[in-house]
Amino acid sequence: MTAQGVEGVTQSEGAAAAAPSPSNDSGLDLVGLTKVFPGGTVAVDDVNLHVDHGEYVVLLGPSGCGKTTTLRMIGGHEYPTEGEIMLDGHSLVGLPPHKRPTTTVFQHFALFPHRSVLANVEFGLKMHGVAKEERRKQAFEALDMVGLTPLAERKPRALSGGQQQRVALARVLVTKPKALLLDEPLGDLDRLLQLRMRVELRNLQRQLGLMFIHVTHNQEEALSMADRIVVMNEARIQQIADPLTIATKPATELVARFMGDNNIIRGKVIERDGDRLIAEDEQHVRASVRAPGSAHAPGDPVMLAVRAAAVEVDTDGSAPAGLNSAECEIVFVEFLGDLVKLHLVTGGERMLAKVTAEHYPLLRGREGDTIRIAWKEEDVQLLDA
Amino acid sequence: MTAVAPTMERAQDAVVTRKVKQRRDWAKWGLATYFVIFLFFLYIPIILMAILSFQGPTGQLTWPFRGPVTLDWWKTLFDSNVINTVADDVRASGEQSLWLSLVAGGIVAVLGFSLSMAFRRRWRFKSDVVAFYVIMLALMTPAFLVGLGNQLLWKFMGQTPDLWKTALGANVIWGIPFSFLVMLAVWNRYDRHIEEAARDLGANAATTFREVTLPLVWTGVFGSFLFGFTLTWNDFDRTILLQNGYQAQPLPILIGTWPSSHPILPNLYALGAGTTAVSLFLIFMVLVAVTLRLRFRGAPVRRAAEEFGDTAGLTGAGGLTARAK
Amino acid sequence: MSSSSTPEPPASDATRVALQEVEEAEAILEQQPPQAERALGEAAARGGGGWVTAVLAAPGFLWIGFYLIAPLVVIILVSFWTRTDTGFSKVWTTANYGDLFHDSTYWHNMLTTFETSLIAVAACLVLGFPVAYFLALKVKSLRMQVALFIIALAPFWTSFLTRALAWTFPLMGTEGALNKSLQQLHVTSGPVSEFSYSLLSVRAAMVQLYILFMITPLFFSLSQVDRAALEAARDLGGNWWRTFREVILPQTMPGIVIGSIFIFVLTMGDYGTVATVGGGNITSVGTLIYSKTTAIEYPQGAASAILLVILLMIGVWVITRFSNLREEL
Repeated sequence: MTAQGVEGVTQSEGAAAAAPSPSNDSGLDLVGLTKVFPGGTVAVDDVNLHVDHGEYVVLLGPSGCGKTTTLRMIGGHEYPTEGEIMLDGHSLVGLPPHKRPTTTVFQHFALFPHRSVLANVEFGLKMHGVAKEERRKQAFEALDMVGLTPLAERKPRALSGGQQQRVALARVLVTKPKALLLDEPLGDLDRLLQLRMRVELRNLQRQLGLMFIHVTHNQEEALSMADRIVVMNEARIQQIADPLTIATKPATELVARFMGDNNIIRGKVIERDGDRLIAEDEQHVRASVRAPGSAHAPGDPVMLAVRAAAVEVDTDGSAPAGLNSAECEIVFVEFLGDLVKLHLVTGGERMLAKVTAEHYPLLRGREGDTIRIAWKEEDVQLLDA
Repeated sequence: MTAVAPTMERAQDAVVTRKVKQRRDWAKWGLATYFVIFLFFLYIPIILMAILSFQGPTGQLTWPFRGPVTLDWWKTLFDSNVINTVADDVRASGEQSLWLSLVAGGIVAVLGFSLSMAFRRRWRFKSDVVAFYVIMLALMTPAFLVGLGNQLLWKFMGQTPDLWKTALGANVIWGIPFSFLVMLAVWNRYDRHIEEAARDLGANAATTFREVTLPLVWTGVFGSFLFGFTLTWNDFDRTILLQNGYQAQPLPILIGTWPSSHPILPNLYALGAGTTAVSLFLIFMVLVAVTLRLRFRGAPVRRAAEEFGDTAGLTGAGGLTARAK
Repeated sequence: MSSSSTPEPPASDATRVALQEVEEAEAILEQQPPQAERALGEAAARGGGGWVTAVLAAPGFLWIGFYLIAPLVVIILVSFWTRTDTGFSKVWTTANYGDLFHDSTYWHNMLTTFETSLIAVAACLVLGFPVAYFLALKVKSLRMQVALFIIALAPFWTSFLTRALAWTFPLMGTEGALNKSLQQLHVTSGPVSEFSYSLLSVRAAMVQLYILFMITPLFFSLSQVDRAALEAARDLGGNWWRTFREVILPQTMPGIVIGSIFIFVLTMGDYGTVATVGGGNITSVGTLIYSKTTAIEYPQGAASAILLVILLMIGVWVITRFSNLREEL
């Protein structure tokens, strides 16, 4: 394993925000990773990412965005067309999966159906030539860790989905990988189980202190589990940031739309005042935002986003009209237990407001009424692309 | 016993029992009866033939059943010292058939397996459709033509057809499409990720094949073997043109050309019933094996309720050993 | 609920908005570009597994090439060559075909065989469909389905020649079981000779022997019929016949087509059944080719065979017009 000359390369990471530790020899580095399939399909385009040991990183995006292909390249199940994958300073490209210090947990668990749970867990050790006694010992330790020791002799088909999940985990952990790759691990479970497994999986990761890279298309899952989220779309990275930033400060339109519950204002710049930028859309909704570095000039098209949860509802129409507010008609009042989603429309454009459940009595049954909504300038995001 | 009608306050409180007519029953039982009649007609010729084979020494080709129930005619198949014996022919043909079938079965299994593996990897390109149709051609070409063609081919090359060179080839041709289709069905159910998981855990290609792939598909391979075996064991149309005068004929040919070489007696029926019994035995073995396997198959349970009953969590029992990076 | 400024009633607005949201969400979730996941393949992953595929495919195709393609090619060649007393000589001629075209008995034979085929296909379809329907849609447990299917299929795995043989004397002959039973039941007064060695018996035998080639594809087609769709149809008020015609039949077409192709091809080219059950009385294209071959009239036999193949191909093409088979596969 030769180290390629990537020392000292500063890595630019995706579109906005939050890049932790600069390049050093520890952790996983994806440099300019690209994958083009025969036939011309570009699955992954110039992905740059650094992951520290012990971090829980989630690759999030719609189907076909390249997240799974990226994961498979890290795991060795796909060859990159261009680019470099380095783990702790050593290049992984060219190494077959079994020679890499990474292991993958597959979406449908991929347990060996003809072998018992114990034999499944022992498999990796057997391939590495560990002696029988020692193998059993380590396998049982791993099974203990996931709480499945009494089921050691069963076959996978006699287990429930969650139990199979745990066997899959035990099977990969026993080989002591440096990084664990998970391909939609919770996709095959039903909802209640998913919710519970999120917690358990994250706790497991914390206790092990291992690097986990987790692929999913479920926004909630990503927000709840990740240390950092990498949002991808159409083979490129849209944004890399911690969950709070992704949720409150989306960088691009896709991120804003994909995370849901964002109001997108598409309009033109009508005023530029130092750092401040005021835009207006066709519905004459005006919003302002502080955008220090932006090059937008009056007349340029621009896109802004406001989180639905940041929108305040003025139920008695007493607030003044003007900047960062809009007059809308209520289309649907959706009560969700802890909160109320207010579906609004202004001049044909949809808007969404999320308010706490206390507001429900004031809003119930008021479909068709006009109300005023408003938000603060600091909650407005300027979106790229 | 007089039933005391409960005092009813309102008319709608009365309990009414109504017979619910199960509409579906008629169709199902009607079809089931049809099915049984169908099976009857399917099996009746063989059953009749088998019955006639147990006749006594005055037994003839057809009804009525003559003589005491004996195994005499069966004996003539195996014992060369009995009157009317045909044991030598039967043994020679039987051996011929057996060896041909075993070899054909083996070749069919191997070729069907390798062809299906090749297709599994490439099933996306136009040329594969052509290849698929070529394989299906083997299924569609009338048996007779395959036999004729092979015979002419050998004449063309200036050689006399030899059963092992020709009949074997022709019979394997017939078996390959069956095996191919069976293997395709097996591969369909097969999860590609299992092989990737094995590779992930340290197995190289050969080990993966041996430890993971093969055990999961061996039933398809075995089924292919059975296909090849029985198809060859029973074949007539393909082989009829391919025999020469000096090799023992396979059993079906022996039966089919019986009238021209042997007096027609009930031992022909015994022979027919015997070869059929062998085939049926194999099939019923498969039946037993398949139903046994199906009994142990159950869909994995995914409901959370099952999970919640299982209280040991990931972070629970046994304590966690922090693993070093 | 008073509507203020908008002209449309609130209800439809809500629906429109809701639908818009759903569309947008779907648009995001199902973006078109990289069909990467579908393009995945082991060959791609290892960057050059092409030769392994070739090695795997080669033995099978070589075998097929030698034992199937080459013989067919030879038949074509020989049909254009001249007959000799010991076989054929490589002198090109079209006389073989010419003779055949003018041979009225040949065409009569061909027509009769064709008729037999059609009858066989129709009979197998009509008689076999209920069996497949029963197994696929009426039997509940998978185990029973498979078990009954194998039981029904088992006779196929016996020598069809033996079954054909059993069809003759024991069952259909003048002294056979059928005649005896009919006489016992006083349906007939004497043995009916038409039952054996006749066109009728050949056709009946063929149905019995080949019906399994129809039941199998039908069974597989029927078991893929969406039972929920059936129930929906019944819910909406369809009686049995309508449901059958509109829901079941279209979904079973691939099975019907495959089964028909099988039976058509097999019966047109059949030799053994006709020879055994028909005695020497009934001829088919198969027996004709056989007799020419044994009479060392190879070129003539070959020409007959080629004509048969052409007719088969036309027939198959016609049958496939009934369904776009490629899609279903």
